[in-house]
Amino acid sequence: MTAVARTTVEPAAAPSAPRPDRGGRRLPRALHPVAWWVWALALATAVSRTNNPLLLFLVLAVLGYVITARRTEAPWARGFAYYLYLALTVVAIRVVFRAVFATGITPRDHFLFSLPHVPTPDWYAGIRIGGPVSLEALLSSATDGLRLACMLCCVGAANTLANPKRALRVLPGALYELGVAVTVAISVAPQLVQSVQRVARARKLRAGRAQGMRALRGIVVPVLEDALERSLRLAAAMDSRGYGRAGSATRRSRRATGALMLLGMCGLCTGAYGLLDATAPAFLGIPAMTVGAVLCVAGLRLGGRRVTRTTYRPDPWRLPEWAVAGSGVLSAVLLFTDLGYDPAQLNPTFYPLTWPGLPLVPTAVILLAGTAGFLAPPPGPVRKADAS
Amino acid sequence: MIPARLAHAAVRVAAALGLTAAALGVTAAPAAAAPQPMGRCTTTSGVVLAVDFSDWGGPLFRSCGTAPTTGYELLNQGGWRTTGTGHDGPAFICRIGYSGYKNGKQYPTPGEDDCVLTPPASAYWSYWHADPGTNDWQYSQLGAMLYKPKPGSVDLWIFGGTNIEGTEGRPTVTPDQLRAHNTRPQGGGTRPSSTAKAPPLPPDVDTGPAPERRATTPAGSGSPKPEPKEPKPSKSPTPSHTAGPTDSPSAQAAPSPKTKVVDAAPAGEAKHDPGSIVPVAAGVSLVALIGAAAAFVARRRRRTE
Repeated sequence: MTAVARTTVEPAAAPSAPRPDRGGRRLPRALHPVAWWVWALALATAVSRTNNPLLLFLVLAVLGYVITARRTEAPWARGFAYYLYLALTVVAIRVVFRAVFATGITPRDHFLFSLPHVPTPDWYAGIRIGGPVSLEALLSSATDGLRLACMLCCVGAANTLANPKRALRVLPGALYELGVAVTVAISVAPQLVQSVQRVARARKLRAGRAQGMRALRGIVVPVLEDALERSLRLAAAMDSRGYGRAGSATRRSRRATGALMLLGMCGLCTGAYGLLDATAPAFLGIPAMTVGAVLCVAGLRLGGRRVTRTTYRPDPWRLPEWAVAGSGVLSAVLLFTDLGYDPAQLNPTFYPLTWPGLPLVPTAVILLAGTAGFLAPPPGPVRKADAS
Repeated sequence: MIPARLAHAAVRVAAALGLTAAALGVTAAPAAAAPQPMGRCTTTSGVVLAVDFSDWGGPLFRSCGTAPTTGYELLNQGGWRTTGTGHDGPAFICRIGYSGYKNGKQYPTPGEDDCVLTPPASAYWSYWHADPGTNDWQYSQLGAMLYKPKPGSVDLWIFGGTNIEGTEGRPTVTPDQLRAHNTRPQGGGTRPSSTAKAPPLPPDVDTGPAPERRATTPAGSGSPKPEPKEPKPSKSPTPSHTAGPTDSPSAQAAPSPKTKVVDAAPAGEAKHDPGSIVPVAAGVSLVALIGAAAAFVARRRRRTE
């Protein structure tokens, strides 16, 4: 397995030999996508624990560094800026909502400005619209929004760093058809972009100078034709490789799979409810969750038995994968253990205005998650097969 | 020319600053509410505030505030202090502290509840009222910032859980154990040591107005009509059963099976430490350092490709 992976990577790396020292003597290769997802989700979990703006900005900086150092040149690896815009929008919405649906101002707060107050009737007195806005309210709502924004950026980092098509390979066999459909769906957008670019280039070569609607017609028709041709070709290729065959599942095994999955999902839902609601009876919590998980796994196993397939060029899971995933998980675990720091410093309050502290252990923990930028091997040069 | 313009600008800035300060001063001025010693609360004037710290081994404190006020102001004067949640702001009471108890430490502590989101329904400060003359608690239908207590009523904050029907988690003390039973204010000579909110009323009001007038005159100034409807003379015929001397801060009031009721005298504010700017500077420089590293890596990548 490893020998195969080596031989496929090395020729690809050979043309770019003059790359001097990007990560020492390590061979450039793509990290296992699941390792990136585990790292990013663990970091998002760690972020959910804190409301400290300093730590949140530190997480954003770490994400930015790791992405700059380890992203590939693939189309999906250029999207982090959009996640940042989304994050800004989240913060802005949070602040505006807090200002409009006023939560009250106390005499000790720093008054900033006043919005026009919309009076509400007595029976609706629980909600106030407009009114004075304090500096404390804006600051605390901005940090509150920043936390959600940070979690969004963590997911964005995983999307940027991991190859989505390769990530779909690890889906259990029972969800195989779903994985195929998603893979085809997510390759549509890059393919469309490529088509448009090709058609536009061809028009330029033919000195087509039409503008506006006429130019649109000249582009849309060839692009649609191209897309249709491509999908027919893809369908033929998939058919010849044995995709979409019915398999050996009997009606009974299919029913059993369905029943197991349905019961398992019910168990998971009940368990989540039981865990979140403190007044629910104890057996609805962890036990229901466990039973649900076991049923789901059994259902997936049973359903996966009818799909037998081999993997072409499997992604290896080696030391760098362990290191990256481990650094993320370790940071999340350390932030939830309250080890060596005051938990109050993770959630500083702005009532009354106080400078947030920078607790040492959480800072070190976030920097530890940032070591993924060194632990992961440098990204390989982009391959045509992945880019399209 | 230029100095003149500069001076002009300076004057304008100073004027703007002065206006801002004035605006701040105006907004910072408290409403007509003031902390009072316990003996100043009577059956028809003032509001009794009671907070139960028994979850943390403390007593049930009660203190007195003048009437036209909100539940929030009542809970934020005379050494009392609250903290809201990060999500909902100060209006959601998440922690309560009294500067005369454990140096103003607020409960629940950050280790018990981080006060970022709404606290769980099983452990939060629930808000109860008892109108003048009634002897059962009513779960507050309004938040502390919107509710205006009636003169002579009791506001109680207890920690714990309640259910939707209001049958579980009800207070174990009765309003009669907490309310003021004297018909006229007592111990007017002692001015509270609180500097945060000096009482706007002169200290000799106890001689002049009758309790009825004190209750109605402030109510006319904008707040919803808190007309006490109970028969006043029949309610409190025995001034002998008073709430005890006001000068001693720990007067044992009516006995309760578990909790000890202690009168909380108006106290000064607990000291607030705004913290230091050093951690912020350190954090910002750390973020800038990582950002510079990222920029460096990005430039090197662009050069090699």
